[in-house]
Amino acid sequence: MNSTKILAMLGLAAGLVAGASSVQAKDWKTVRIGMDASYAPFESVNPKGEIVGFEVDYFNILCAKAKLTCTFQNQDWDGVIPSLLASKFDVIASSMNITAARAQKVLFSDMYMATPPALSTSAANKSDDISPAALKGKSIGTQSSTIHANYLEKFYKDSEIKLYPTQDEPNQDLASGRLDYVMGDAIVTQDFIDKHGNGCCRLVTTIKRVPEIHGPGVGAAFRPEDKDLAAIFNKAIAEADADGSFVTLEKKYFKIDIRGK
Amino acid sequence: MAALQAWFPLLFNFSLLDEYGWRLVSGLIITVKVVGISCALGFLLAYPICLARMSSNRILSNVAMGYVTFFRGTPLLCQLYLVYYGAGQIRPELTSMGLWLFFREAYFCCIFAFALNTAAYQSEIMRGALASVPKGQIEAAKALGLSQYAIARHVVWPQAMLVAVRPFGNELITVIKASALTAIVTLLDLMGQTRFVFARTFDFSIYLYCAIIYLVMTETIRRVLGAIERRLSRHMVVNAEVPMKTRGLVLARFRRATS
Amino acid sequence: MESVALIFGPDGWGNLLLEGAVVTVLLAVTTIPFGFGGGLLLAVLKGSKNRLLRAGCESYTTFFRGIPDLLSLFLVYFGLQALIDWLSRTLGLPFHLEVNAFVAGVVALSVVVAAYSSEVWVSAINAVPVGQIEAALSLGLTRRQTFRLVVMPQLLRVALPGLGNIWTILLKDTSLISTLAVMDLLRAASEASRFTRQPLLFYSVATLMYLVISIASGLIQSHLERRANRAYA
Repeated sequence: MNSTKILAMLGLAAGLVAGASSVQAKDWKTVRIGMDASYAPFESVNPKGEIVGFEVDYFNILCAKAKLTCTFQNQDWDGVIPSLLASKFDVIASSMNITAARAQKVLFSDMYMATPPALSTSAANKSDDISPAALKGKSIGTQSSTIHANYLEKFYKDSEIKLYPTQDEPNQDLASGRLDYVMGDAIVTQDFIDKHGNGCCRLVTTIKRVPEIHGPGVGAAFRPEDKDLAAIFNKAIAEADADGSFVTLEKKYFKIDIRGK
Repeated sequence: MAALQAWFPLLFNFSLLDEYGWRLVSGLIITVKVVGISCALGFLLAYPICLARMSSNRILSNVAMGYVTFFRGTPLLCQLYLVYYGAGQIRPELTSMGLWLFFREAYFCCIFAFALNTAAYQSEIMRGALASVPKGQIEAAKALGLSQYAIARHVVWPQAMLVAVRPFGNELITVIKASALTAIVTLLDLMGQTRFVFARTFDFSIYLYCAIIYLVMTETIRRVLGAIERRLSRHMVVNAEVPMKTRGLVLARFRRATS
Repeated sequence: MESVALIFGPDGWGNLLLEGAVVTVLLAVTTIPFGFGGGLLLAVLKGSKNRLLRAGCESYTTFFRGIPDLLSLFLVYFGLQALIDWLSRTLGLPFHLEVNAFVAGVVALSVVVAAYSSEVWVSAINAVPVGQIEAALSLGLTRRQTFRLVVMPQLLRVALPGLGNIWTILLKDTSLISTLAVMDLLRAASEASRFTRQPLLFYSVATLMYLVISIASGLIQSHLERRANRAYA
């Protein structure tokens, strides 16, 4: 009986400590950033369990400029907005495109990058025709709750659209032949093909952004009441543009310009 | 305020149903299909496993026990990932065996994983039910000269079924609840459609609608089960399950005794 | 050989998988006192004189045993923080209480486990003969002594197998937390297979690790049951 009691006490203590240690006032010294780290090269998990990638480096730069201590948390994509609203973290930095539907729930920073969407297919498929008529009845995979999913639903009604929790899984399923096409971010798609494709797949073409679906580009998201925090980040974004630190970082990661300005 | 709206069910949003209600219905159909097919297949599979488990052949019974331990001891989600993404990795091998067409579809992968999983549980239910029939009765029936079939039909099964009704029903409920996992591998079942609508609207009340539908399904089964059980056991003096009212009475007596 | 390096090599994922396994076990173990304790509390309240309280406890159990665990976890995981925020705002607390993912996971699992275990506790309470309680009271034991010395030991004995079943459910339910944000065993396996493109390898390893954990816990369980049954041997 005693040992169970001790265990119970330990559990209780651990819970309280975990709860109490993170009590914080909102004067923004430390900021918790949430991201879906299954989106290489923007954010992914390495064998040590750390989150790494372009957006991690970029937000570290922004945080340094704003003199904030930033921590990064991994959160499944479907849960990023609920988690932000539930204060599990303070910022979403997860290649989230600024759209009208999302802007009803969250407050966006200024746009800090814009990457084109792209359609990829198996290497064996030589056809470059991606018109809705040509893709009728074909299976197209993409990550759910994304601009890509919205785009497919709008323009590819006659195709079989399959939605996955991460962008990585449709890529895997394209490689294994479960899918005929994958819609996704061009850079993420190319990264997959280069690093893990083994010649399985090819990027057919990038797609022009449709403003009412794709929005202008990617921004950080905040809770609507945290206007002060959004302002801090907007200032840092402008500074990172002005002093060239965005371009320097961008060149380290990509061959093309993704600032979208 | 956003937090409030996200959680409190007082703010059920009915216009949501007008627009997305059909999605929940189509999701429900997928859920029912997956559950129905995998439970039926699981049942068919469970019988030989149960026989193997009870067989006097050591190897056979150990293999069956290993099967049951494996599927009961590991998370279904893990098994589902193993089947779905594992199959994707060994596609060439599967293709050469002609199995890829099956494993290509998320729908079949789900049914495959679910059927194997529930077979393990159902075989244990059968084993427990068959073991609950006293050996003496079977010997007595044999002594009376009843055929194997007659013994099974008139002595063993009626009693075993009575014991097995509730566990089988509970297993069905478990599979209904577990079927929500199929949403994770692209199947647009009830949970999948709910996630889809939430992704579109960010309206939390869709999760509550979804919860209500699951609740109605599982609770209906639970009640029907109770009725079946009462009917099957109507010849017996003592009910298999202490009815709720009696249960309350016992607790009330406990309360009175301690106050 | 390549797969050995992927797990045990310097850049291997073995460490992350082991850490994940520890998180899985910790999640389950930490949930036990709250989940089972909450279940016992519910069971006792289900025998309350207050009709409203009784109905509340019954509907709690009905709700959480009737919906998918994945859905319960989701509702609690996101609902809990919203509730805390709402409370601290209504009460005008000057600070912001933040629940980390692990704690939120434990709370979410506890809510489900409490609902499941309350039914086990109820039937265990029913199994203790009322005559014993009356006898203990007439011998002059206080209510608390009666509960602790007479009811509780028998309660545990009767409840143990049922609680054992719920423990195995709990152990497996921790994997659902992986779909939220906690780096448990299954999550670690997902990350590894995503990075290495070896889902078959890593999900197999994870499945085997789960199997080892549940076989070990099965042994502990039967040991506990033997201990509780000592007096009845």
